[in-house]
Amino acid sequence: MANILVVDDSSTVRDEVAGFLRKNGMDVDTAVDGKDGLAKVRANPGVKLVISDVNMPNMDGLTMVEKIRGELGNKTVNVVMLTTESSPAMKDRGKAAGVKGWIVKPFKGEAVLEAFRKLAA
Amino acid sequence: MATDLISARARASFERIFQRAAQSRLVRNAGDAVQIDAMQTLPEEDRSFDAVAAEVVVLTISSIAFRLVLLLRVQHDAATQAYYVGDAARTLRETFIEYGNLCCGAINQELIGHFPDLGMSTPYVLSARCVSYLDALKPAYQAMYAVTIDGTVPLQAMICVCANTPVDFMADMSAAVEESSGELEFF
Repeated sequence: MANILVVDDSSTVRDEVAGFLRKNGMDVDTAVDGKDGLAKVRANPGVKLVISDVNMPNMDGLTMVEKIRGELGNKTVNVVMLTTESSPAMKDRGKAAGVKGWIVKPFKGEAVLEAFRKLAA
Repeated sequence: MATDLISARARASFERIFQRAAQSRLVRNAGDAVQIDAMQTLPEEDRSFDAVAAEVVVLTISSIAFRLVLLLRVQHDAATQAYYVGDAARTLRETFIEYGNLCCGAINQELIGHFPDLGMSTPYVLSARCVSYLDALKPAYQAMYAVTIDGTVPLQAMICVCANTPVDFMADMSAAVEESSGELEFF
């Protein structure tokens, strides 16, 4: 079972982020939207780190986090949002949902690699 | 008149913000050249039925005061495919959608400083024929650009801003703003 889950409706982003983390020795699964992400966390409660976009069809990333914490009762998985959004209101919603960190795209792997290693440990 | 709703300095600000976003987010490699030229009208080929085969990536940024529509179109030619996709096993369409998302995201990030209530759409793809119907939105501001990336990749960009109330703001008009994307902000 992978200990990192990358959630984004863009296959370009999933390939880029998951590919970079796998190249650096990490075990990564992917999901295509919040609904898929929620299902994968439900099926794999051992996942340690979720890296998720915000704006996605079917279920957005922040709703997914709220459901991970609420419906699934999973308070321990670390969640980092990777998104084009930067509004204070959205970050406040993330904080309230238990999001650990926020990255404004584009993804720069080297800048976050060690932090991701620690969050996924 | 609707066109009076957006002040002259707001128009200049939208243009400058778009230019910065295009220069930083439509390139595959930082530092690749970006040439942006204003266009007054659509090219002839886009006003014919042949345009039905072309597609545009469309994103919107909405606030209480206005709605900004960004349309981006790439040519599906060898140079564009090589630049954006290279050897990756994915289509130019899938790849360019994300570049469009990043470009509009950069516009959104700058506008948030002036309009705190903004929401941005996910990208969607429409037939390029929609371009000739943009006037039906009665935009208060509209601009078209021919963009050339790295000297070889031609794009077209259009921005339409539909305003509900007067829109007036002044963006930072310098060539580049401080880049903070990609950093992890811990809560």
